[in-house]
Amino acid sequence: MTAVAEPRAVRRETPPVLAFLGRRILGGILALFVASIVIFVALNILPGNPASVILGRNATPAAERVLTQRMHLDRPATTRYADWLGGFAHADLGISAVSLAQGQRTSVWQQISGPLKNSAILAAIAALFMIPLSIGLGVIGPIFPGKPVDHMISIFSLAAIALPEFVTGSLLIGIFFVALDWLPPVALVPPGGSPLDNPSELVLPVLTLLFASLAAGVRMVRAGMTEVLQTEYVQTARLNGVGERRVLWRYALRNALAPSVQVLAQNLQWLIGGIIITENVFAYPGIGTELVNAVQTRDVTVVQSVAMLIAVVYVVINLLADLVVMLLVPKLREPA
Amino acid sequence: MTDRRDADLPPGHDLLDGRLSRASLLKGAAALGIGMSPLLAAACGGGSGTSASTPTATGGPQRGGTLRLGFVGGGTAETVDPFIGVTPIDEGRIQNLYDPMVIVNPDLTTSPGLALEWNPNADATVYEVKLRDGVTFHNGKTFGADDVIYSIQQMSKPANFGSYPFVSGIDVNNMKALAKNLVRIPLKVPDADLAANFTYYNTWMIPAGFTDFKHPIGTGPFEFVSFTPGQQSLFKKNPNYWVTGKPYVDELKITSISDPTARLNALLSGQIDGMAQLPFQEAKAHQASGDINVLVAPSPQAMMFYMDTQKAPFNDNRVRQAMRLIADRPALIEGAISGFGTVGNDIAGKGLPFYDTSLPQRTQDIEKAKSLLKQAGQDNLSVLLQTSDIFPGFVESATLLAQQAQAAGVKINLKQEPASAYYNPSLIYLKMGFAETQWPMLSLKYFYLQSLSSNAPYNETHFKSASFSNVLQKAIGELDKTKAQDYWNQVQQIQYDQGGYLQWVNADWVDAVSKKVAGLKPHAAGALGNYLFQDAWLQA
Repeated sequence: MTAVAEPRAVRRETPPVLAFLGRRILGGILALFVASIVIFVALNILPGNPASVILGRNATPAAERVLTQRMHLDRPATTRYADWLGGFAHADLGISAVSLAQGQRTSVWQQISGPLKNSAILAAIAALFMIPLSIGLGVIGPIFPGKPVDHMISIFSLAAIALPEFVTGSLLIGIFFVALDWLPPVALVPPGGSPLDNPSELVLPVLTLLFASLAAGVRMVRAGMTEVLQTEYVQTARLNGVGERRVLWRYALRNALAPSVQVLAQNLQWLIGGIIITENVFAYPGIGTELVNAVQTRDVTVVQSVAMLIAVVYVVINLLADLVVMLLVPKLREPA
Repeated sequence: MTDRRDADLPPGHDLLDGRLSRASLLKGAAALGIGMSPLLAAACGGGSGTSASTPTATGGPQRGGTLRLGFVGGGTAETVDPFIGVTPIDEGRIQNLYDPMVIVNPDLTTSPGLALEWNPNADATVYEVKLRDGVTFHNGKTFGADDVIYSIQQMSKPANFGSYPFVSGIDVNNMKALAKNLVRIPLKVPDADLAANFTYYNTWMIPAGFTDFKHPIGTGPFEFVSFTPGQQSLFKKNPNYWVTGKPYVDELKITSISDPTARLNALLSGQIDGMAQLPFQEAKAHQASGDINVLVAPSPQAMMFYMDTQKAPFNDNRVRQAMRLIADRPALIEGAISGFGTVGNDIAGKGLPFYDTSLPQRTQDIEKAKSLLKQAGQDNLSVLLQTSDIFPGFVESATLLAQQAQAAGVKINLKQEPASAYYNPSLIYLKMGFAETQWPMLSLKYFYLQSLSSNAPYNETHFKSASFSNVLQKAIGELDKTKAQDYWNQVQQIQYDQGGYLQWVNADWVDAVSKKVAGLKPHAAGALGNYLFQDAWLQA
């Protein structure tokens, strides 16, 4: 946002929103490109030939030779990288390396599309609660500064931020399954089924994700709100007799939210990280479980693709966050 | 692969203390992934580690329903191809789709499966195998000699790494169908007990010409319906199964649940009916509370330390013997695997045919160990022990052994290796001087050929001795049982006196089923009653 262009030049250029978006998209693609190199290099410079790593105890020279060929490991790394990235750009994620080791050809997409859908549903439900709750709880505190409700929200969010997902998840299981026997402790979604078929199974995973990701957003909104409420223009509005409700929602919140959007976006990204752990705790068949399995069986192609997909999600969330900030802050929409 | 996340969880049961009954506390401790403290276990009356609890049936077997089971998952590596299955979840599926030529009984004796008779010639180099009549595959094909020949030829392909070692002694190009139910199998080397090669699930029978393992066909008690690797499989009852009246349940659903706590929670909440690999500490807790049936099966599966007999300081037999005398085996079993096992005697295979029961049980003798080390000039021995959390009990037993060794003035330095590298021969496997291992024991022949013969692929101890290999070959080829036993005793005596293995335990299989499940009995050959789900039924 540093471009200070001459008025004449600005008029001929594309509208600032589009220019900004274009720059961001380019930046995102660049980031993904760098991520793809990092992922590929990290997985391909592991000690040992990937073929032998996959075969493990069965890495006889003959078996290793066969798999090396099947995985095209005999080709130069740059060719393999180009093949992989080219395939990825065309939504072809390749063939699972472990299935190749077994003489079969399971497409990575076929393997992960179901889990991907399950994870998306879990993340979407969690996000659906997280964003309004972050804003709601973040706003309440500053309205009643120093009151019990403010303290409670602060303490609660501090405690929640301090607990990793597997602890929160275990505690929730302890309370809602072991002690009360209200909710199932695992979410076994059958292949081809939808997690929404059994909503009760989703409650604890969603709560776990919420606890872990809500706190940072609440604290950020609260800080923004507190600051804005002390600014001169809010004071002026109050002195001019504008109603308190209008002051809060029209004057304060909008400005308090701008910095929070980025934090909420970060929270969404963090949610994706949290999903990997949460899914494992609840045996939820999502992308996290798939990733953990792929790492354990050393299925390089699956790990590579899942890591790349997660990178794409991160970049898209960032992009959307930038867009929302632009919509919230009119200043950014006008030529500088 | 095993899973090992349960140790990650912090103690949190204080929160629940005092508000819950003892039973739900136990359930809670397990659900939260918290091992019981020994004190708590004692207060609850504990549970005898080695007793096997069998589900008690009320009335006769009942029919119908879906048997739902949870296993440690293997992601994309899960397979229903019998020749490359590796993990318990593969075994659970394969054993229910296909059938063996030879059935292993719960006490490790054998009964005829798809093969009725194994008739060798005088020097045990050619077999005539008589097959069972009236068995059909799921696609309607009648089982016969052509299927056996095809299956064995498939097994002999090096890419089929699971089955390959079992048939590497067979001259696969000269097998012949003598009749529909009679097949001639010539061997490259004498083998007095060829049948023993066809018990393990990597050697079960597929129909001639079959290649499509996405839609597997066998003769087993269940037929294939669907399978998503890393997630779930569904099989249905084979109505024409050759064992009359079985299976009892209509459907078999096997789900991958890798986290042990989640697996147990699924069982406790009734979302599955049985689970393989119940963590040892939780097994203790649930034996005491009795809310689920814990299946404990004593078995010969061997957990061992191994020393490289070619590398200093273990190239000196006195040092190896000293290490074997340093180990306090009962303490290792109690401390590392909560008592779920029987003491090992450095020669694996307790309970299997030809196991030498006459060798005295080795016990801890620190003084003798010290004097042996002194003779070897190793009074201040300091060695590196490489361990890994790839199997439950490995890191724990290594830590305990290091403590026990202090009494003999031996310093054992521990190094924890990544699980993915531990069994990888192109990384560290077979290159470590002092490490740990686990062997599923199917027969002495299998173990010795794989780990101790002159061309063993997994020669962990790098044991090399021409005379030893010679006796081993004689033992394997001898048809006369008495003579064979004599040779096998010589083989085991050599390992007992000079070997590089320190076998501290024959570990039990520890699994669990809900109170609804009946008919599954503890079985020495495998987890969850050796996966004999055709025997299981669900009580209303």
